[in-house]
Amino acid sequence: MQTPVTIPVPVLRLPRGPDGFSRGFAPDGRRALLKPEVPQIQECPIVQESLESQEQRARAALRERYLRSLLAMVGRQVSFTLHEGVRVAAHFGATDLDVANFYVSQLQTPIGVQAEALLRCSDIISYTFKP
Amino acid sequence: MAMRQTPLTCSGHTRPVVDLAFSGITPYGYFLISACKGAGQHLPRLSGQRYGKPMLRQGDTGDWIGTFLGHKGAVWGATLNKDATKAATAAADFTAKVWDAVSGDELMTLAHKHIVKTVDFTQDSNYLLTGGQDKLLRIYDLNKPEAEPKEISGHTSGIKKALWCSEDKQILSADDKTVRLWDHATMTEVKSLNFNMSVSSMEYIPEGEILVITYGRSIAFHSAVSLDPIKSFEAPATINSASLHPEKEFLVAGGEDFKLYKYDYNSGEELESYKGHFGPIHCVRFSPDGELYASGSEDGTLRLWQTVVGKTYGLWKCVLPEEDSGEVAKPKIGFPETTEEELEEIASENSDCIYSSTPDVKA
Repeated sequence: MQTPVTIPVPVLRLPRGPDGFSRGFAPDGRRALLKPEVPQIQECPIVQESLESQEQRARAALRERYLRSLLAMVGRQVSFTLHEGVRVAAHFGATDLDVANFYVSQLQTPIGVQAEALLRCSDIISYTFKP
Repeated sequence: MAMRQTPLTCSGHTRPVVDLAFSGITPYGYFLISACKGAGQHLPRLSGQRYGKPMLRQGDTGDWIGTFLGHKGAVWGATLNKDATKAATAAADFTAKVWDAVSGDELMTLAHKHIVKTVDFTQDSNYLLTGGQDKLLRIYDLNKPEAEPKEISGHTSGIKKALWCSEDKQILSADDKTVRLWDHATMTEVKSLNFNMSVSSMEYIPEGEILVITYGRSIAFHSAVSLDPIKSFEAPATINSASLHPEKEFLVAGGEDFKLYKYDYNSGEELESYKGHFGPIHCVRFSPDGELYASGSEDGTLRLWQTVVGKTYGLWKCVLPEEDSGEVAKPKIGFPETTEEELEEIASENSDCIYSSTPDVKA
């Protein structure tokens, strides 16, 4: 019996190995904000720059956290608070690139259940869900 | 076009990898810790690779994150807590250490009276269970590191593996020929299993309360609550470690013939076997999402294998055939870092895939 011709699964790259000179745990790695804050002296101007890059890192980490929260919402029941005290609940599906619209299903509205709908984010005041 | 498995080799350890463990799934993905022996203990003057160096890696890619430095002997056991914020290691230097898995800093050194082999955190990370050659199980309260640990005696040979089970209300421990179940609150033995052959590994699956035990060529499944046997399979060679897929569809096992075997859990049918390692496989574990499994070997490498070969996941990138061409499909996308020759090399480096059934890979 002839062995079938197979091609190896392509890979983007090989896993990165140790850098060979440090023990790792990069201070600007993904989980950097989980480390306890080291107190910094305020006088030196060089410190000012690192404050800015610290802020940048903080923003990046917060953005990543928000995007992960959106991922965690997929398929879950979410309740939205809209303008004028209107509350609706739905199953979260996805958001678009700019987080301008939420695609939801089984939207429970005061006038009935909508199988599928787009909620404009500008109409949403807040939303909550249980992971 | 059938795809064949491209294992990803994680470099870094140059010494045998004897233990590996995954964390749970965290907001930052999941993580992997691996433990390796240091240089042969008969070469005390060899510097550099003298001590075991446990390493933390990103679980889905195998990328190295950091190395925990501090142990002064071979590291026999390593584990992560559920959210990968803490790591624990067991070493031949008679200590277990607890580490901050974010910064890599050593948090605690727990002195023992002999080689420590196994460590396990409770779900809430408040307690650490240790076991080793002194035949005692120890429970440390991590909020009171100065306090003496609680000790459970009863084993008559060195403890190889100790695990919390039943929501941390019970403890499972394995020595050379027995597996014992203990009640945490009363610290007494509830039940035990005896084996004629040396127990090589033990894995606990909380969902379904299943215990996976390997001994000789057998891979056995028992209830973790009653220790009653569920089923067992025989492999073609001595097995050192086995792991059950989270959805309990497959299991993977590896041992002395350097090969990794994949079985259908329900039927026991051998689905695939992979050559790839250059030495006996010491440990194998499925990732918490079941998408890949990792194997650690005497050859000093850690390898990642796809559960569903050809699926886009982590560093593996699925390729779709060209629509208009009747020729052999070639990757359209240019991989900036890997040429096709390199890809072939990565795949064929040492993995000859032996399909025991049809070329359509059952996954």
